[in-house]
Amino acid sequence: MGKKMKGNDKKPDKKGGRKMGAEAVAMKAKAKKVENPFELISSRRKFDVLGKKRKGEERRDGFSRSRGVDKRNNTLLKEYEQSLKSSVFVDKRIGEHDKELGEFDKGVIRSQRARQLKAKKSMYNLSDGEEDVYGDGALGEPSSARDDFDSVQLSDEDDDIDQDDSGSRRLRNRNRDSSGEEEERRKSKKEVMDEIIMKSKLGKMEKAKHKEEKEKLLEGLNEEYMSIEKSDAMKSLTQDFIVQDEPSDKYAMLMDDLRSDRRGRPTDRTKTPEEIAQEEREKLEELEEKRKKRMQETEDLSDEDEDTGGEESSKRVRVVSGDDLGDSFSVDAKHPKKGWIDEVLEREGDEDDSASDEDSGSEGEEDDDDDEDSDGGKGHSLKDWEQSDDELEAELEGDEEEEDDDDDDDDEDEDEEEAEPIVHKKSKKDSSAPSEGTVKQTTNMKKLSSTQHDIPYVIHAPQSFEELIALVENRSNADVITIVNRIRTTDSIKLAAENRKKMQVFYGILLQYFAVLANKKPLNIELLNMLVKPLIDMSGEIPYFAAICARQRLLKTRAQFCEALKNPEDGCWPSLKTLFLLRLWSMIFPCSDYRHAVMTPSILLMCEYLMRCPISSGRDIAIGSFLCSIVLLVAKQSKKFCPEAILFIRTLLMAASDKKLPPSEESEFYHFMELKTLTPFLCIQDDVKEVVPLNFLKMMDLPADSPYFSSDEFRASILSSVVETLRGFVEINGGLSSFPEIFMPISTLLHQVGNQEKIPQTLREKLEDAAELIEKKTEEHHKQRTPLAMRKQKPVAIRMVNPKFEENFAKGRDYDPDKYRSDMKKLKKKLNEERKGVVRELRKDSYFMSDVKAKEKAVHEQERAEKHGKNLAFLQEQEHAFKSGQLGKGKGSKKRKR
Amino acid sequence: MVRPYGIKVNKRKERRERYDKEEDEEDEQPKFEQKRKEVKKAKREEATSNAEEEDDEENEIAEEAADELDVGIPIVVSGNKKDQTGVIFVLEKASLEVAKVGKTYQLLNSDDHANFLRKNGRDPAHYRPDITHQALLMILDSPVNKAGRLKAVYVRTEQGVLFEVKPHVRIPRTFKRFAGIMLQLLQKLSISASGKREKLMRVIKNPVTSHLPPNCRKIGFSYSSEKLVNMQKHLSTVCNETDTVFVLGAMSHGKIECDYIDDFVAISGYPLSAAYCISRICEALSTNWNII
Repeated sequence: MGKKMKGNDKKPDKKGGRKMGAEAVAMKAKAKKVENPFELISSRRKFDVLGKKRKGEERRDGFSRSRGVDKRNNTLLKEYEQSLKSSVFVDKRIGEHDKELGEFDKGVIRSQRARQLKAKKSMYNLSDGEEDVYGDGALGEPSSARDDFDSVQLSDEDDDIDQDDSGSRRLRNRNRDSSGEEEERRKSKKEVMDEIIMKSKLGKMEKAKHKEEKEKLLEGLNEEYMSIEKSDAMKSLTQDFIVQDEPSDKYAMLMDDLRSDRRGRPTDRTKTPEEIAQEEREKLEELEEKRKKRMQETEDLSDEDEDTGGEESSKRVRVVSGDDLGDSFSVDAKHPKKGWIDEVLEREGDEDDSASDEDSGSEGEEDDDDDEDSDGGKGHSLKDWEQSDDELEAELEGDEEEEDDDDDDDDEDEDEEEAEPIVHKKSKKDSSAPSEGTVKQTTNMKKLSSTQHDIPYVIHAPQSFEELIALVENRSNADVITIVNRIRTTDSIKLAAENRKKMQVFYGILLQYFAVLANKKPLNIELLNMLVKPLIDMSGEIPYFAAICARQRLLKTRAQFCEALKNPEDGCWPSLKTLFLLRLWSMIFPCSDYRHAVMTPSILLMCEYLMRCPISSGRDIAIGSFLCSIVLLVAKQSKKFCPEAILFIRTLLMAASDKKLPPSEESEFYHFMELKTLTPFLCIQDDVKEVVPLNFLKMMDLPADSPYFSSDEFRASILSSVVETLRGFVEINGGLSSFPEIFMPISTLLHQVGNQEKIPQTLREKLEDAAELIEKKTEEHHKQRTPLAMRKQKPVAIRMVNPKFEENFAKGRDYDPDKYRSDMKKLKKKLNEERKGVVRELRKDSYFMSDVKAKEKAVHEQERAEKHGKNLAFLQEQEHAFKSGQLGKGKGSKKRKR
Repeated sequence: MVRPYGIKVNKRKERRERYDKEEDEEDEQPKFEQKRKEVKKAKREEATSNAEEEDDEENEIAEEAADELDVGIPIVVSGNKKDQTGVIFVLEKASLEVAKVGKTYQLLNSDDHANFLRKNGRDPAHYRPDITHQALLMILDSPVNKAGRLKAVYVRTEQGVLFEVKPHVRIPRTFKRFAGIMLQLLQKLSISASGKREKLMRVIKNPVTSHLPPNCRKIGFSYSSEKLVNMQKHLSTVCNETDTVFVLGAMSHGKIECDYIDDFVAISGYPLSAAYCISRICEALSTNWNII
């Protein structure tokens, strides 16, 4: 009971504290502050922050200390005091703990409480209307404080009941219920029965009522339904079939429309190159078929009278037969084809014969050129040639066997080189050895003439040069190209994989044919030109093989050139064939590549020609200038610098000038040019009326010692072309930073040449123009040049560092990006604070306790000392009395006195 | 448990104010680097001496060229930075004040806080942190600083807070960011480099003279001074032997009053802004030291 009361007493205290909050504390503090100014210590702030509230600025150390002491007095001290005692006095009087209440109020509360308790506890007390009183507090007490208290008290009581005495309440409730029953029982059974009857009657009544209502509702609904039925909406619902039909019509129409609509058809897709090739081939095959048919028909027509071979008859039989399996085509195709090839092979000898007649004249000259080479190859037969060619092809494909055995290589090279002469020789042999009947020949010739214009549509790629020659012999240029094109379509690489090999062989042969043509005299330049296109196209198809071919030829040409250089009297300038091939490759392969498998060596070769070949005749000059122009063409795109070509041009110009140059200036230059003869080859002696552009081919046909080369006309035209080339080089190399150094001497040379008296006017203008161009460019370069300067040493600045700071910095906030770490930091700080606080409190407690104990001890001590003193004083007194004899006397005297 | 006799033990570690002391660790590294540099230099000197003996300088030149690929003829610049004299700037009476405006702390300036200042009975005209901003920018962006001749910058606020700004700080270009940095500096008492632990700005103990090198010459600048000098000529007499301290006021009105200043000079007949005054000083310094 005591415990409970204690709890009761504490709670209102706490609540009161909560209600008042900080204000109350502040008020108390204020009150105290006024009382004791010594407890107030205000701390001086270092920086007065404007706008910061000064709340809590003064630390009231004294106050807090005294408050702490009070608190300890109330708690610690009391506990200490009670620890010595075995029993506790608990003041349970109502209102005793509330200091605010006066005596009167306390009394009022107490009396009220007493009555209340009395009322509550009376289990058997009947209610007589007084219950209202405690519910509302309608006793009419004026004191508000009392109201507060009351309500709090009541609520507390209830709480307590809720928590502790729920059982008792239940009991009470049961009691209440039982009392209710008792009241009912007081009613008689009859009454109860009546009530029941009444209830049942009421129930019946209600049922009847419900029924009626339902009926009414039903009727209403029916009526409503009828009205709706008659309305349009219902009609529309009932007539829905008709309504639906209308849209269905539309739908059907649409369906019909859609059905009748044509579906989008896919257009023909774009064909792949393979398919195109296939188509082309098929077309050609068809044409070939037709051609053959035509051919046979004519034959038939011509041979109709005579009974020709069994083939024809069998064919006819086959056509007639109904059980034909369709093999007839293949049989048909085979035979005529065979016939054609036979025909060609037959024809071959004759054609060669006729061709050899024509060529025999020119052969002599060629032999002059290629005498040494052709000697080795003379012995080769046709078979040999074929074989070696095959080997060559195989080798070219293999690519790595190049260095196999030198002998073979040489042979092959020679073979290839001498392809043309060999053919001729072979044909000679052929013509000489198997001399066929003239009659047959003539018939063959006739046949040939009749079939000359119809070239077979399907031509398979020839496997040897021989075959190609056989195919192409005596055809017109256009026909040759057609043949080449047809071969290409027939055995197109796109058609089959194995065609690649065929085409490679064919390419090699065609290139050879080109080379042979280029060496032929008279030159069939038209055919050469026409051959270029298929060659370029085919190189595009088999670039790797084309490059290998070209490289092989280049290697060989270079070897020949080296050989030729050993005795320069024979003239080591490249032949027309080499020139044409070089030109062809410059067209086939990209010239602008920095490094190219074919173009780089070919440029090097050209430059070497220009550098190392001595100039001994006008023809050499022509070839050289032609080479220069090729070099220019090649170098144009990539803007390469070819010093050899420029040097060559310079040499020519020097040869054109009549003055002797001061040797000191250009001595090193002469050193380079030791091979060149510096006789004034090109110095124009007489007036030339007009400068005619050179015909290179015509010139090449002329012998080296022809008088044309020493004519002024030739000189003038060569000079003009050289100047043209020079202009090209100037344009190309205009960007070089060493341009002035390279070209300035040339410009002075140009001036020299131009100042000669005999120079024709047009040529002079040209020369001057070129010189002017050079000077202009030189000027530009000179302008751009800056004198050599000391290096600008930039001073190195110190390294600057960016400071780190937060936007909207708030003091005390942790700006650690790691959330966990900052949280931990915060928690640790709090823990530390708490620990410190606890330690402080404990220390203060112990100080307080020791203080209290010391005081107690002091009190004890004092008491003891007092007692001791007292006793001592008593004893002293007694002793004194005893000594003075007053003890007996006094007593006696007193007694006596009394 | 108790000591038999009382002895004086300093139980707690000595707690000095450490906020203005530089961290030891970061000191380590520069020292190390310096050492390395010195070693290098020694080596180079050795090399040069050898080269002189062998009488070919090309070797060295080639080395230099390899170091930095530049056009032109390389030249060897002999710059011994050790014995260079430097300059120190002190900005006095900088109006950098933090106040709680609304709920946040802000650096007071006359534009944004005019009403607040008036409410609190202050004159908005005195709150000009932008002057300090401009002045700091002028000092730290000058070629004198880039050449490494600036030793330090000290700023003392109107309230008497003294802080140091290292010469290699890149002061924010915009005023708003500058205000942010100053706010943080005045509350946190230091600003570190981004990405490093090095402190670029820190609040230090007054007076400023304890941080200045010994026997340096302190020159104060004031329009009110009687001594009107040509900065160029004046400098040539002053700053070649010892370090020089320039003291300027970074305030809008008033005059600096410092007892440590050796001589007060005026460098123009007109009242100059702090930034322009600094630029003129830096210009004179750079011509004096041939810093281009």
